[in-house]
Amino acid sequence: MRGGRGRYGSGLPVLRRGSMARVLTAPAVRPGLNSTLLAWGALTFLGAVSLPWARPGRELFTFSPEATGAALARTSPLMGAILLTALLVAAAGLVPWATASRGRAAIVLGALGTVLVAVRLFGTGQPFSWGVAAAALGFLAVLGTGLALAGVLRTDAFIAGSILWVAVFVAIFILYPLWTVLEASVVVRGRFTFDVVRETLRSPAFFLLNNPATPRNETAVALAAGGIVTAVGLLLQAVQRRPARGWLWALPAGVGGFVLTALYLGFGALRNSVLLAIVVGVIATALGFLFALLGERSRLRTRRLLGPLSILPIITPPFVLGLAMIYMFGRRGFVTYQLLGISTNAFFGPLGVAVAQILAYAPIAYLVLQGVVQSMDAALEEAAETLGASRWHVLRTVIWPLARPGVANAFLLVAIESLADFGNPIIVGGGKPFLATEVFFAIIGRFNPSEAAVYGVVLLAMTLSIFLVQRYWLGRRSYVTVTGKPSGAKARPLPPALDYAVSAFFLGWMVLIVALYGSVFVGSVTKLWGFDYTFTLEHLRSLSPTGWKVFWTSTKLSAYAAIPSTLLGFLIGYLVTRMEFPGRSALEFSSMLSFAVPGTVMGIGYILAFNQGALLLTGTSAILIMAFVFRNMPVAIRAGVAAIHQIDRSLEEASTMLRANSLTTLRRIVMPLVRSALLSGLVFAFVRAITAVSQVIFLISPQHSLATTQILTYIEYGSQGRGAALASLLTVFMIVVIAALYAVNRRLGAETRREMAL
Amino acid sequence: MRNVALVVLALIVASLGVASAAPAGRVTVLCSPNPAWCDAVKAEFPKATGLQVDFVRLSSGEALARLRAERQNPSFDVWFGGTGDPHIVANEEGLTEFIRPAAWNDLRQEFREAVAGKYIPLYAGILGWALNERLLQEKNLPVPRTWKDIADPRYRGLIAYPNPNTSGTGYTMLATLVQIYGEKAAFDLLKAIHKNVAEYTRSGAAPGQLAGRGEVAVGITFIHDAVDQVLKGFPITYNAPSDGTGYEIGGLSLVKATPNRANALAFINWALTPAAQGLAASDGQSYQIPSNSKTPVPSTSPRFQAFKVIKYDFVKYGTASVRDGLVKKWTTEVFPLPK
Repeated sequence: MRGGRGRYGSGLPVLRRGSMARVLTAPAVRPGLNSTLLAWGALTFLGAVSLPWARPGRELFTFSPEATGAALARTSPLMGAILLTALLVAAAGLVPWATASRGRAAIVLGALGTVLVAVRLFGTGQPFSWGVAAAALGFLAVLGTGLALAGVLRTDAFIAGSILWVAVFVAIFILYPLWTVLEASVVVRGRFTFDVVRETLRSPAFFLLNNPATPRNETAVALAAGGIVTAVGLLLQAVQRRPARGWLWALPAGVGGFVLTALYLGFGALRNSVLLAIVVGVIATALGFLFALLGERSRLRTRRLLGPLSILPIITPPFVLGLAMIYMFGRRGFVTYQLLGISTNAFFGPLGVAVAQILAYAPIAYLVLQGVVQSMDAALEEAAETLGASRWHVLRTVIWPLARPGVANAFLLVAIESLADFGNPIIVGGGKPFLATEVFFAIIGRFNPSEAAVYGVVLLAMTLSIFLVQRYWLGRRSYVTVTGKPSGAKARPLPPALDYAVSAFFLGWMVLIVALYGSVFVGSVTKLWGFDYTFTLEHLRSLSPTGWKVFWTSTKLSAYAAIPSTLLGFLIGYLVTRMEFPGRSALEFSSMLSFAVPGTVMGIGYILAFNQGALLLTGTSAILIMAFVFRNMPVAIRAGVAAIHQIDRSLEEASTMLRANSLTTLRRIVMPLVRSALLSGLVFAFVRAITAVSQVIFLISPQHSLATTQILTYIEYGSQGRGAALASLLTVFMIVVIAALYAVNRRLGAETRREMAL
Repeated sequence: MRNVALVVLALIVASLGVASAAPAGRVTVLCSPNPAWCDAVKAEFPKATGLQVDFVRLSSGEALARLRAERQNPSFDVWFGGTGDPHIVANEEGLTEFIRPAAWNDLRQEFREAVAGKYIPLYAGILGWALNERLLQEKNLPVPRTWKDIADPRYRGLIAYPNPNTSGTGYTMLATLVQIYGEKAAFDLLKAIHKNVAEYTRSGAAPGQLAGRGEVAVGITFIHDAVDQVLKGFPITYNAPSDGTGYEIGGLSLVKATPNRANALAFINWALTPAAQGLAASDGQSYQIPSNSKTPVPSTSPRFQAFKVIKYDFVKYGTASVRDGLVKKWTTEVFPLPK
């Protein structure tokens, strides 16, 4: 929106939010009464009066009558003030004031109430209970309503309230835990020091360029490589006689050449992780894009297999795939040893990790890009073809530019996933250092949260740079394709050569995936994989009772977490793409943070932040749910942003012009258009939660143990059969869930199309 | 969509309410040995005492990290099993507390003396190798006998060694070599072995499994873990190097700040009875030597007499500063070397 209104060229007059919003957002229901404030005041009061404000121990759902607001108000003047403020809010809704003055009153009361609740909560230091939540959220909604009414935020009450709620959630569940971790990196035993930071960054496990054990001087070689690249760049410039562009590209290319060579020749976690992220990011995104094209544009039947099969790798915990790959490609692997007769463990190490990650993350890229390719308007391509462009030319100049935001998103997601991935490096990494595993080793092995925090900061910095590069690359272009004007054009098929090549490649991929999963399924009913292939049900039977219990817990908690993470993610995606408010970029960035840091860091942050005092949550199922919600929300945000970017703003503007408030616009206009993306997001959030490992390994408690950690334990202790059995169970269940959701999605898709056609 | 959300919301509230309740008469245990042993403890403890037990299985390093993170408000009462050094560190940091259990005088004297009141000995296990002789034969290599043998370049890519950063087993080997050869010679030896290592594993039990699957020929591991692999049917043998080997004394500790002290003590006292210790081998797939001298040593357990076991200095090498120093030195001087 910032400085970009004109480029959407919708033909509608641009809304001047300052004056219009006030008129639009204060519908004159009955003069002299504001039902929003009245309702929030009443709700806040009722919640605060009747719900308990503190709880005795870890249990979240306790009710003690002496802890309710009503009981506390008798002895605590502070509580009395809180309840009074809530009543005043309701009164401010009733008094016949002018909109702006009412808004100012609401701002004062909302802010006052929020501060009082915070003082009460942190002043007593007792674990919070539901009264606190009700009062805090209520007052924030009041504050939001006030900001909208007074015209401070140029939007309506719903959006303003949403922004505040989202901001508070992000602050508590993302920023605060990360802050505790960062604090731990520089505050060691109560003293502020940079020793740990320095020591960690100097450690060869982090990065070592000039290895004293090798005769070569790696720094010199890297510098030479950088110089050569720069020289070649300048030479090209001289040949092509484009001095300005030549300078622009030759220098960064030289620096890039230096960095890449240095990384390639160097040693350590930084090197392994960065090279891996680049390779995996590029290959997985390319594959995802090809598969998305294949799925939407192929004339061959193989495309029908694409949806289900490319989803398979992400519906099981990654280490299961790693283990299957060792079974198939290890020194005694079925393929390498039994079929090819090779005895090598070259597979342990970066190569193995790269293959495992590409298998696991190409589907993520596919999921992101599928929606993008799906919603491309074929009319554009038709137009290009009518104007005489070849199919290749269309692919290059129409499809590719339209797909670019999606491709950038996919690369961002995959690169970050790869950087933060913990399961694959630990299973097939051959013990080589990677950033995410060093975090884990620092905490688990060297008992040094400070060192882990330093690694966390490094990962964060790199993710941040990827994020910025992606933004720069996307530039300020518009990629609107859903305009609300029905398009009669059918999707254009791929050029036949490309179609056959990609289909053939996909078939190979499919065989690999089926073989890998087959080995897990077979392993679950085999006595001892590799030695004794007798059929047995022993592993499946031995799942009871522990295996079944953790399976159920995992399913339950992941399902709970999926809904808020999707809705919250799409809401944030909508806010940051469509709304203008102070701190918008900050909100977008902080909500992406939880995704950027490795799960292990987030897990430790949660334990440091939520283990004592007013925010006590450890040992409850709520902390696991929150970890899932805020870890997976960024995926929904990216999906939401990508989907919303493609909707022409004029649709929403039309709705606003017709006096719909933003909740109605969101519900009636935006939601139906992104429904298929929403459902995919829901499935994805559920899947990611159920397969999560690193962020929950510190958070599980005896009553709330999860399937993934249980599988890891089984595998680590040599009960591979049992691990395979539980993994198979999980996989089958996920297949069922996803098949059901796909069926629903297809129906929804058809409905949407019908509605749009009308 | 909205209706679904409402139903789910109602379900959440309902099931959270049920799931979060933890009744009295319970003890919460951090369980570090083989999960099968933890399962057996969970099944048997209530029969003996009427108390219920809840546990989380975490390796000893993870368990220590968890205790540290929960220092202000621990959710565990007892830490059961796992290598000794993290138990010593926990004790030094005031996370756990040493108490004399009822069976103190029945515990093997040499174990009690070795850990010097830092924690309660639960079992002992000897460091050694899981050997895949079939793979060695294929490669025309002799079965290695000493630590120096596995430094021979002929064994390149055939050895698995647990990373001392994460594994108590890995650290035990590091400390053992330092105690046998002195720090300088030990690190030279480790650098030579490094060139042969196919994989540094995270856990101490993994090298035995890699040897069992034929991924490597020599897996450095505790012998009782190798015994487990043999009994599960993997084609391996086990041995300990003839130039000397170290051992571990697994720990049992009371979490200092637990509000559930009485039940925790009941658990500790029960865990040291011969009946409870017998569960390790009968149900728990764990073949260490039990610490209570009245507990019969399982027939499958590797005995001290069969190997050349050094006099391992647990107190010195379990101290956080010594341990951190050695692990850091290994991480900076050995680990980054090209293979």
